[in-house]
Amino acid sequence: MFTKDPILLACTVTVVLPFLSFLTIICYTRKWERVSCSISIGAILTSLLCAVYLFVATRHFTEPLQYRLPWVISGKTIIPFGFLVDHLSMLMLVIVAVIASLVQIYSLGYMAGDPGFSRYYACQSLFAWAMMTMTVAPSMIQFYIFWELVGLASYLLIGFYYEKWSASQAGKKAFVVTRIGDVGMFIGLVILLLYYGNLSIVDVNSAAVAKQIPVPLITISAILIFCGVIGKSAQFPLLTWLPDAMEGPTPVSALLHSATMVAAGVYMFARLFPFFAGSEQALQFALLIGTITMVLSSTMAMVARDIKQVWAYSTVSQLGYMVMALGAGGYFAGMFHLTTHAGFKALLFLCSGVFIHHYHTNDFFVMSRQGARNLKVPMVCMTIGALALSGVFPFSGFFSKESIMVALAHHPNKIWLAAGLFGEVLTAYYTFRLIFVMLFPKEIEDHGHHEEEHHEGESILYWLMGWPLIILASVTCVLGFFEKQFEHYLFADFILAHGMEHGAEAAQAGGHWLTITAIVLVLIGVAVAWLEYGRKGASQEGFLSRMPAIEKLFANRWYMDHFYRWALDMIIYSGFTNIFTRNDRRVIDGGIDGLCRGTEGSGRIASFLQSNMVQYNIFVMVAILGFVALSFLG
Amino acid sequence: MISMEMASFPFLTVLLLTNLVALLVIMFIPPERDKLIKKVSLFFAGITVVISLYLYVTYDTSKGGLQFVERYLWVKSLGIYYFVGADGINLPMLLLTSVVLFTGVLTMWELENRVKEFFAFMYLLVIGVYGVFMSFDLFFIFVWYDVALFPMYPLIVIWGSTRKEYGGMKLTLYLLAGSALILPAILYLWTKSGLNTFDLLALHRAGFTKHVQIIAFVMLYLGFGILAGVWPFHTWSPVGHVAAPTAVSMIHAGVLMKLGAYGILRVGMFLCPQGLQYWAQLMALLATIGIVYGAFIGLAQNDLKYVVGYSSVSHMGIVGLGLATMSVGGINGAVFQMFSHGVMTALFFSSIGYIYDKTHTKMINELGGLSKIMPVASAFFIIAALCGVGVPCLSSFWAEILVFIAAVKTYPVRGILAICGIVITSLFMLRVVMKTFYGPKNEKFAHIPDVSLFLASPRIILAGILLLFGLFPRLILDVIQSAVIPFVGGF
Repeated sequence: MFTKDPILLACTVTVVLPFLSFLTIICYTRKWERVSCSISIGAILTSLLCAVYLFVATRHFTEPLQYRLPWVISGKTIIPFGFLVDHLSMLMLVIVAVIASLVQIYSLGYMAGDPGFSRYYACQSLFAWAMMTMTVAPSMIQFYIFWELVGLASYLLIGFYYEKWSASQAGKKAFVVTRIGDVGMFIGLVILLLYYGNLSIVDVNSAAVAKQIPVPLITISAILIFCGVIGKSAQFPLLTWLPDAMEGPTPVSALLHSATMVAAGVYMFARLFPFFAGSEQALQFALLIGTITMVLSSTMAMVARDIKQVWAYSTVSQLGYMVMALGAGGYFAGMFHLTTHAGFKALLFLCSGVFIHHYHTNDFFVMSRQGARNLKVPMVCMTIGALALSGVFPFSGFFSKESIMVALAHHPNKIWLAAGLFGEVLTAYYTFRLIFVMLFPKEIEDHGHHEEEHHEGESILYWLMGWPLIILASVTCVLGFFEKQFEHYLFADFILAHGMEHGAEAAQAGGHWLTITAIVLVLIGVAVAWLEYGRKGASQEGFLSRMPAIEKLFANRWYMDHFYRWALDMIIYSGFTNIFTRNDRRVIDGGIDGLCRGTEGSGRIASFLQSNMVQYNIFVMVAILGFVALSFLG
Repeated sequence: MISMEMASFPFLTVLLLTNLVALLVIMFIPPERDKLIKKVSLFFAGITVVISLYLYVTYDTSKGGLQFVERYLWVKSLGIYYFVGADGINLPMLLLTSVVLFTGVLTMWELENRVKEFFAFMYLLVIGVYGVFMSFDLFFIFVWYDVALFPMYPLIVIWGSTRKEYGGMKLTLYLLAGSALILPAILYLWTKSGLNTFDLLALHRAGFTKHVQIIAFVMLYLGFGILAGVWPFHTWSPVGHVAAPTAVSMIHAGVLMKLGAYGILRVGMFLCPQGLQYWAQLMALLATIGIVYGAFIGLAQNDLKYVVGYSSVSHMGIVGLGLATMSVGGINGAVFQMFSHGVMTALFFSSIGYIYDKTHTKMINELGGLSKIMPVASAFFIIAALCGVGVPCLSSFWAEILVFIAAVKTYPVRGILAICGIVITSLFMLRVVMKTFYGPKNEKFAHIPDVSLFLASPRIILAGILLLFGLFPRLILDVIQSAVIPFVGGF
């Protein structure tokens, strides 16, 4: 603990503090809300400081640094606990710490007066702890452990309003659905462990894996591990939990959707990227999944009326982009988009939170009618976020999307690029649909009195919630210009095991036509949205409303939830559970009870031989003796 | 070879006698003074905790082998020894028994009906349990085993609920059928060895032929397996859990079921390694079926205790699977699972006991929204459920992960099936948590106070243990492993 190595000390502090904060709040300070939130925020801010220190201190390192202690020793299996300090993990650590701190500060305003205030901060600390420890995990087992804990923390946060059935349902759904992916991931890891004998991330990423394990086996375990990404990052076909996860408080959505829960999947993909790159099929598979996810969720976003739903679908589709980028070999593009997305998605959710808090509705048509555009700070910030989301120059999303397009263009099969570009149109359309509706309401209801009612308390809360928005918005504005430094930083200690190079020179390969096409497509999307929702006298009805069948399909999430519900009922409840339960009651228990009854019955029959009537008893004796005599004779 | 170190002080005998003294003292207290009876019970349970904790801490893992040994010849003509000792496998079990006993007494603090008899029977039961865990003599193991079984019947039938006569009868018959298989197996081994001894270590060296081992092992496996809830001999256990009063459920699921698994490990596998190899495939199969089957049935249950009962079937399947792998990792995991499942189910039943006392129902449909009414009491059930789901940093997780790694290596298909089973486990556990504790609060129970600190103390202890061993698994795994490595070396 008391080490002279400042890096180790900083890592330990970063990771341990939020956990201590969680334990303290849960065990001691539940009653005192102010103490709880101060402890939690103090812990996360200290972690943030340490993370920034680590980031700066290790920026020139070219070799990953590892600290490990044996956590479990069982036979030949050794599970270490420790830290892996390299550029990727430090970058992620900073992102997580920044977003978590901002969200916690913002929550002071948003959650004020909630009866579960302390519990909320305890869960936030738990979440931060799990996520940060996962980020710096040196071995895949530790990674998996904290990956599961991230799932647990999000279960608790999504189901935070547990009195609502829908919230606890959503929490359960998130946990179980991601668990399905995790099972695949765990099996993949075990296969890797059994054949390779080691799950240290550095070793798994080294070229030695390819020598020791045959390629088909790498493919199998890579695809199984990728199942974890599918679950956590809400990829097709397990994407249905994320839109439901809106049931949690809005800051939680901001946290979940930007830098933590869902980003964890993409982070793992990047973390093990050299390993995944060892199998062409695994990358193809990822590319396919990413593309399907991206297109499906964009279509869902086009018809949603709930502001958080729109952003939720957009998260899913952006995650699809990241997976596509990584699948196409664009390691940097994927991570860069993860970073920029963390910023602007947190921004978008936190802005929506202000609106929701203020208007007590999630429907952005209603908000708009009540005068949403009068809330200047969140409205401006949200527009900035939306511009970044749809990839408009000069906001951060533009740069990261461009690098994704370059990565896709680099791929021999151009169909992925086409899909990616198509997605740009959809993204721009659904994003600006929302923005235009919010900015240019069809009719305005007068809600002036609303403002005055609780002006005093509100304004403090408003600014508590406002500052994180401004910070995030300014980050979103400038982050894109650091693309080169960013790339340099990420590649400084990145050793590509399998000779796949997609560096700076790849950017040139795409040429300028790609950038221009992308810009044009984004503009088309925005223009369509403008025509339908923005311009004066616009009907504010999408072109999809003329195609009710398709609109219904999109609005019902392609009937995926219906399908799962049906499958769950048919296969699990009416199928196995029912059969097994009957079997237990009828066959196993029935058999045993039958045996008992049989024993009892035969006893009763035998008891007739022993009745009280003397003549009868003598008769039986004689009969038996007769039998015995006969058997001797025979 | 397993090393032996004689005890400088007869700790194990003292541990056993403490319970006997407790039993006698309780017998001599007038039944009206029920507060005193409870205090005395708690006092002696506290002593057992202290002794077993002391043994656990002072056990030297670097030396390993049997320590704190006491061995005296009892009946020369039959070769019966009073032979007790402690190693890495039974130390966690002894600790578990003391902890469950202590928390069980605390949980029953509000008992009013025939207090004296209840605690007397409970101590009688526990004497048997301690006896089995510490004995290294087959004769004593069998005797203590039956001592532990007998008090279950009155405990369930007098203080139980929900179909108690049926449940008690079923349980007793089942378990006696189990011992009817164990006794012939023990006598068979005793005759075949020709050594005229019941000493477990001596019999281990006897070198039985493969044929003998195969026959003896399957009898021991089934006999002890009934108590361990091996599928398809598991149906007594949910019924018994449901019928039993809280503390008895805790001891029953927490400790008695471990007795079965411990018997398979200590007697069956130790004496008949070749028999184990012959039957391992079947063991793994039954265990895997148990894991998946228990989880599916748990999904359909409407009674909290039934849910936990079937989850026990599922979790004990993990123990069976670990044992069947015959590897260090698997058996480590199995013993760890025995311990953490014991603590976990004790926590489950203790929480359910409180809920049942206050609401007079344990039907999931009739409850709902309890988190709002009694947040602290609910939190402990939720912790137990999360442990059952296999959430990391609670001790079950480590046990499961070790068993699964070993299982996939030895039995790939069954191992993967078992891993998939945990999805169902999480589904049914979270379903119960949701239906019972979440949702709008039920006005019918709105007046119920949250649990007081004293009444919550057994649950605090149990949850603390789960968290402690979840965060620092080496505290227990190093102890277990010190015994398992030589054990597996004997195969």
